[in-house]
Amino acid sequence: MSNASKPALECRDVTVKFGDVTALSDIAVSFVPGQIHAVVGQNGAGKTTFARVAAGLVQPSAGAVYVMGEEIRTGHVDQSRAAGVELVHQSFALPPSFTVAEAMEFGATGKGGIYSRKGLVEKWRAHLASLDVQVDLNRRIRDLPIETQQGIEIARALVMDARVLILDEPTAVLSPSGIDMLFARVRRLKERGVTVILILHKIREVLGIADTVTVLRGGRKVEGPLPIAEVSAERLANLIVGDAIARTLDRHERDALVGTTSPVGEGAGHLEHKTAPSVLTMKAVSTRPDNEGIALDGIDLEIRPGEIVGIAGVEGNGQKTLVRAISALADLANGSIRLAGEDVTGKPLAARRAIGLRIIPFERNVEGLSLTSSLWQNWSARELLQGSLLKLIRPAAVREACDRSLKEWSVSYHNSAQKAGSLSGGNAQKVILAREVDSQARLIIAAQPTRGLDIGATAFVWQALRQARDHGAAILLISSDLDELFDISDRVVVMLSGRVNGEFRAPFDIASVGAAMTDAAARTSA
Amino acid sequence: MKDSLFTVARSLVFVVFALVLCALVFQFAGYNALTMLWAVADGAFLRSGAIEQSLRWALPLFITAVGVGISFRAGFFNIGAQGQFYVGAICAAFAAEAFKGGPAFLVIPALILSGMLGGALWALWPGLLRLRSGTDEVITTLMGNFMAGLLLVYVTSGPLKDPSGSGQQASSRPLDAAYRISDSLGLSPTIIAIAAAVGILMWLLVNRTAFGVLASLAGRNGTMVEWQGARLWKLGLSSFLISGALAGLAGTIEFMGPNGRIASGFLPAHGFTAILIALVANLSVLGTAAAAVFFGGLASAALYLPIMAGLPAAAIDIINAAIALFITARSKFVDRVLRLGGRPQ
Repeated sequence: MSNASKPALECRDVTVKFGDVTALSDIAVSFVPGQIHAVVGQNGAGKTTFARVAAGLVQPSAGAVYVMGEEIRTGHVDQSRAAGVELVHQSFALPPSFTVAEAMEFGATGKGGIYSRKGLVEKWRAHLASLDVQVDLNRRIRDLPIETQQGIEIARALVMDARVLILDEPTAVLSPSGIDMLFARVRRLKERGVTVILILHKIREVLGIADTVTVLRGGRKVEGPLPIAEVSAERLANLIVGDAIARTLDRHERDALVGTTSPVGEGAGHLEHKTAPSVLTMKAVSTRPDNEGIALDGIDLEIRPGEIVGIAGVEGNGQKTLVRAISALADLANGSIRLAGEDVTGKPLAARRAIGLRIIPFERNVEGLSLTSSLWQNWSARELLQGSLLKLIRPAAVREACDRSLKEWSVSYHNSAQKAGSLSGGNAQKVILAREVDSQARLIIAAQPTRGLDIGATAFVWQALRQARDHGAAILLISSDLDELFDISDRVVVMLSGRVNGEFRAPFDIASVGAAMTDAAARTSA
Repeated sequence: MKDSLFTVARSLVFVVFALVLCALVFQFAGYNALTMLWAVADGAFLRSGAIEQSLRWALPLFITAVGVGISFRAGFFNIGAQGQFYVGAICAAFAAEAFKGGPAFLVIPALILSGMLGGALWALWPGLLRLRSGTDEVITTLMGNFMAGLLLVYVTSGPLKDPSGSGQQASSRPLDAAYRISDSLGLSPTIIAIAAAVGILMWLLVNRTAFGVLASLAGRNGTMVEWQGARLWKLGLSSFLISGALAGLAGTIEFMGPNGRIASGFLPAHGFTAILIALVANLSVLGTAAAAVFFGGLASAALYLPIMAGLPAAAIDIINAAIALFITARSKFVDRVLRLGGRPQ
C-alpha cells in the first residue's frame, strides 16, 4: 500500500474540444483513494465527458491523466482498464438477449470461443454473490429489473480488479428504493477499497452518499473536491447553478432543479378544474403487446382542463405505451379513450390532433424533429397535416409565420431554412414547444420534456407548461425525475408494469410515491 | 439560396472529377483524351442539329428522373424505373392493339394513360410490400426490372409479335401513324408539351404543396411525421405510384414517339441513367432538367462517336460510370474536397 498517499485518479489541465465546442477546459482535480467522490453539475456541464476521458473513451486535446500516481496514455480504453479504471455508462450496454452468465463472460473478457452454459454459471456465481447481486444466472438480461441490470453492470466492471469505478448518472433510471440499494452497494465497494466516482445531479443524493464533491459548470471546475462536511445544500445549489442564474430563479424552482431536499410540491391549488368536464378520459385501456414496450393493462385515467397530471414510474413500466395509446400509435385491445368530449377510440392521430391533442414526444431528435430538415418544415408539419395534402402553400408565408412563432418562443437561430439538427437541445425543444403549444391545444402530452436540457431551458419548459395550464389546457407530464414531477404536477399517478399503481395529491410524500413505483402490493392512495 | 448554390457547385465538381478520371482512362487506353472529350462535346451539343438530338433523349429521361426524385425524396429507393418504363410501354402497346381504329384524339390520351397506369402498377406491388410488410424496396424493384425485361421479351415474341419482323430483335407491330406523337427523330411539340407539363406539375408538387413538405420530412425522418399524425403509407405509396407512373409515361413516349413500336430489350439503360440524373440533380426538379439535358447529350454523343468521329461509343459508358462513381462517394469525398458543407447532411 505504498500508493496510499497518491491520488487514485488525477487529471491535470484536461481540455476536451469537439469541433468548435469546448466540452472541458483546464480541468485539474485529484481524488483520494478509498473514498466515494461525487461529481455534480447541470446538463452540459461536462460530467459525462470527464468520465469518458478518465475511462479512455475520449482523447483530450490537452492535459494528462494519472491513476495511482502513474500517467496513462489518454484516449485508450485498454490503457485505462489496465490501470484499473472502469466506467459504467448512463445507458446500460448489456445485450438484452444474453443470459446473466453469458453477459458476464463475454462482456467482461470480450473473448469468443466454445463454452458451456453450466460452466459459465459456475464460473460467475461466486463473483456475483460476493457483490450481493442476487440473480439466477440463467435468466435473460431483458427479463431483469433495472436495479439488477445495474448490479450486473457494476459486477462486470469489477471483474478486472478495478481500483477506480466511475458510475455515470447511475440514479437517473432508478426508483427511490433502487437508489438506496445502489448506495448500499457503493458503500460496500468502498469497504473493499474501491475508489468510487459517482456522476450525479441531485444534491440530495450527493449529501447522502459522497465523501467529497466536485462541481462542474460549463466545462470548468467550479470547486472541489470539497469534503462533504464542509458544504451545505444551499452553497452546493448556488455552485451548480451559478450565482448569476441563481438570483433569477425563485428558491423553490431552484431547489427542484438541483434536487436539494426531498421534494413535496405545493400543489398549484387550481380548484376550478374539479368541476369542469374532463379533457382526457381513458377507461380500462389495454393495448396489444408489441415490441416497442410493455403493454397497458386496464388503465383508467382522467385529466381535467387546467390540471397538470404527472406520470411517475421507473422507466419502461408502460409510460411510453400510454403516450402511444393516447396518440393512436399503439393498438388497443380493450377500453375507450375520450378526448375533449369526443370518443376517439378508433380515430387516427390526425383526427385527435384536430380536436386539440398535442405531443412533446420522448425522443426529441427522433419523434420530435427531423434533424436534417429545415426548421420551418419541422415547425409547419402539424398544421400542414390538418389540410389536404395537395393544398397549395406559399413557403415564404409559412416561413414568415414560423419566424414569428419561433421569435415568440425566443428560439435562437439564424434563419428558418437552417437544419433542425444545428440547434442546441434547449432550442430544439423550444421549436417543438412552438409547434405543439398553441391556443387550440386542449391536452398537451409532455414526455420527458426537460431531459438533457440545462437549467435555464428546463425552467423555460416548466414555465411554458404552467402557462398552458393556466390558459386551460390539460397537461400530462411524463418524467423519471420526481423533483420535476412534484414541483409542477397537481396530481401524480404512478405506473408499474403497465398499470396505474397509485395516485397522489400534493403535498407529495416521496416515500409512498417511491413505494408505489416498485411495490405492486402498495396500492396506496392519498 | 446559398444551400442550393452549394448543391449546384457540388454537382458540377463531381462531373468535372468524373471527366478528369475519364480523360485518364482514355489516355491510357491509347486515345488522345482531349480529342475524345472534344468529340463528345461536339457530338452532344456543338455540331449542328446536336441540340435537337440531345433533347430527344433528354425529355424522356427527364420525365423518368423527376419521378425517381419524388420517391427518393420520400425516402424510398425505388430503383425500378427501368422496369416501370418497360411495363408502361408494354401496357400502352396493348392498349394500342385494343383501341385500334378509334379517333386519334381519344386513342392518344388513352394510350398515354394506360402507359402511366402500367408504370404505376409496376411500382404498386413493391410499394405495398414495403409499406405493409417492410420488404426492402431496393430488392423488389430491382427484381421487378428483370421481370419486366423478360415480360418484354415475351410480349414482343408472343402476343404482340410483328410477323414481318427481321428476326434479329423481336418487336411489336408498329403503331398506326395516326397515333404517333412524333416522327422517328423523336422531338415534337407534343412531347415537349408533355415534358413541360410534368416539369411544372412536379415542381409545384415538390415545392408548393403540403405533400412536398411532408414527403420530404417523411423521407428524412418517418417517425417524426408519424408522431405528427401523418399516415406514412399514404405519403409513401403516392410517391411510389407517381414515380412509377412517370417512368411508364416515358416508356409510352418512346413507344408512341421515336420508336413507334416496342422491341425486346430496347433502351436497357434508360431507368438507370434516370437514377443517375436524379442523384446528380440532388433530387431538385430544376436540377433534374439541367442534368437530363447533359445526360441526353451524352446519349446522343454515344450514337455520334463511332459514326462521325470513328471513336468507340463505350467512351460514354465510361463517363456515365465515372459520374456514378463520384456520386456514390459524394458526401464524403466531394464535401471534404470542397470544405464548404460544414457538417455532413
